[in-house]
Amino acid sequence: MTTNKIEIKHLTVDYTERGRSFNALHDVSFGVGAGEFVSVIGASGCGKSTLLSVLEGIYQAADGSVEIDGKALHGTGKERGVVFQHYSLFPWMTTRTNIAFGIKQARHDISRRECLKIADEFLGKVGLEGFGKKYPSQLSGGMQQRAAIARALAMNTEILLMDEPFSAIDAKNRVVLQELLLSLWEGDSKEHRKTVVFVTHDIDEAILLSDKIVVLTAHPGTVNEIVQVPFDRPRRRESLTQTAEYGQFRNRLLSLLYHDVAERIGGEEVVI
Amino acid sequence: MTVRKRLLHVTHLLFAVLLLIQLLPDRAASDVHTGALIAFACGLEAVTLLGTFLVKKEESLALLVDIVGFIFVLLALWSLVTAKFNLLNPMLFPPPGKVLAQFAEDRSKILVNIRSSLGITLKGFLLAAVAAIPLGLFLGWNARLGGAAAYISKFFSSIPPIVYIPYGIALLPTFRSVSVFVIFLATFWPVFAGTMSGVLNVDRRIIDSAKVLNVRGPEMLFSVILPASLPQIFLGCNQGLSVSFILLTSAEMIGARDGMGYYVKYYSDFGDYTRTITGLLVIGIVVIGVTFLFNRLQQYLLRWKK
Repeated sequence: MTTNKIEIKHLTVDYTERGRSFNALHDVSFGVGAGEFVSVIGASGCGKSTLLSVLEGIYQAADGSVEIDGKALHGTGKERGVVFQHYSLFPWMTTRTNIAFGIKQARHDISRRECLKIADEFLGKVGLEGFGKKYPSQLSGGMQQRAAIARALAMNTEILLMDEPFSAIDAKNRVVLQELLLSLWEGDSKEHRKTVVFVTHDIDEAILLSDKIVVLTAHPGTVNEIVQVPFDRPRRRESLTQTAEYGQFRNRLLSLLYHDVAERIGGEEVVI
Repeated sequence: MTVRKRLLHVTHLLFAVLLLIQLLPDRAASDVHTGALIAFACGLEAVTLLGTFLVKKEESLALLVDIVGFIFVLLALWSLVTAKFNLLNPMLFPPPGKVLAQFAEDRSKILVNIRSSLGITLKGFLLAAVAAIPLGLFLGWNARLGGAAAYISKFFSSIPPIVYIPYGIALLPTFRSVSVFVIFLATFWPVFAGTMSGVLNVDRRIIDSAKVLNVRGPEMLFSVILPASLPQIFLGCNQGLSVSFILLTSAEMIGARDGMGYYVKYYSDFGDYTRTITGLLVIGIVVIGVTFLFNRLQQYLLRWKK
């Protein structure tokens, strides 16, 4: 029997909006091994962010369960760090206070001064030296996400949950941030690597970063397929994307995503 | 901008014009105190020149120089229609020099009155803020109570606070305590309503972000909800502050023994319009001063906003 860090079993989630309830996720099951980087991809509205909300502990499942280290998940927890697409940072705190606040929340045993010291160290790691005293509104979107990643890493949680962290960033900076995250994550020795669940709709991002990709189908969200990424680490974008294997693998993922879309269009009304 | 360029400003020309006007013969019969006006204008000009050399930010300097320019124009016109051409009833409209001289003469009396007015306002305002902000945070955060409390606060804040005066007089022993009570009520409801709407409008994503950091209970309220609602709390405070001044001066005109409203009312009863105008100007300056300081505090506490 494998021992997964996170075990999602027959998860069903209902979503209520304007008094109408609908099935966002239906019978979703998969596991995430310790130190594994797993991406969840799918078209918009497939429930991938809802899935992450359940893992974060801010949304309740209607049925099924999530286990972390074999224990059922209840609410938020100190073993999980989160990076959102927006507002991961509090706008009224400086970058460094934001990070120190996160550290203090995760570890009550250390002093504020030590928290600030660790904050500065992690600001350096994400390339934000000298920006500690800036407020989030004074930073670009990319820099804000760097700081959010710095906070999540500085909290030193075993699990990292990332909800489309780079989706609102322009294409050029997105690539830079992906490589930053990759190098920080791969930088830890294999047994110390964080367990990551990464939600995205960007196929290239998912392939570059992940060990395993979970492809979701929409309405309701179900697991279409779970694919192992066959590329060795450490990965480099330039060398990776030029190989023939990469192209083939990418096409396979694309067809898994678009197969679903084509079916839906065909089923209802053919517009094209 | 060079110092020479900075010195080239129409305000300095207006200063010269104001002085030249003073060379005209006075037609008003009463004492016009031209000396006081000239001394005041020279003082103001000195401040402006000092600012020209000391103030670094172009915008702040421009603001200062423009305001002083306006004051010079106002003084020139005022001096022309009163002292120089005697166009207005000299009893009702004293010349500017006379008002300035009166201000200098009464300065200690005025200071006592300002202190009294500010003391009452500050007490009522701070008591209201200390009570309204935590209560608003708590009720706003409790989703169910919040809805009901929002309506109730709307109801109470729509009642003009001046109508509470009879109750204040019936219940409380002194004029000061009645004034504090009325200002408390006038400030409490807008601050409470502002806090509640601030809490109810905190971005869901900020709350989620705090939740995943395991922020809970009082810490959620004071480290997250409070700063996130601060912009709306300040809206309520500003509203409360401006209502407080209006209320206090009106109340002082009715029943007080000191305060700026009392000063104006007392001397207008004697037909002393020089002191009445002095009092009006002082009230304006005090209100502007307090509002300015309060805005600085607001800018500082909300410096994280874009």
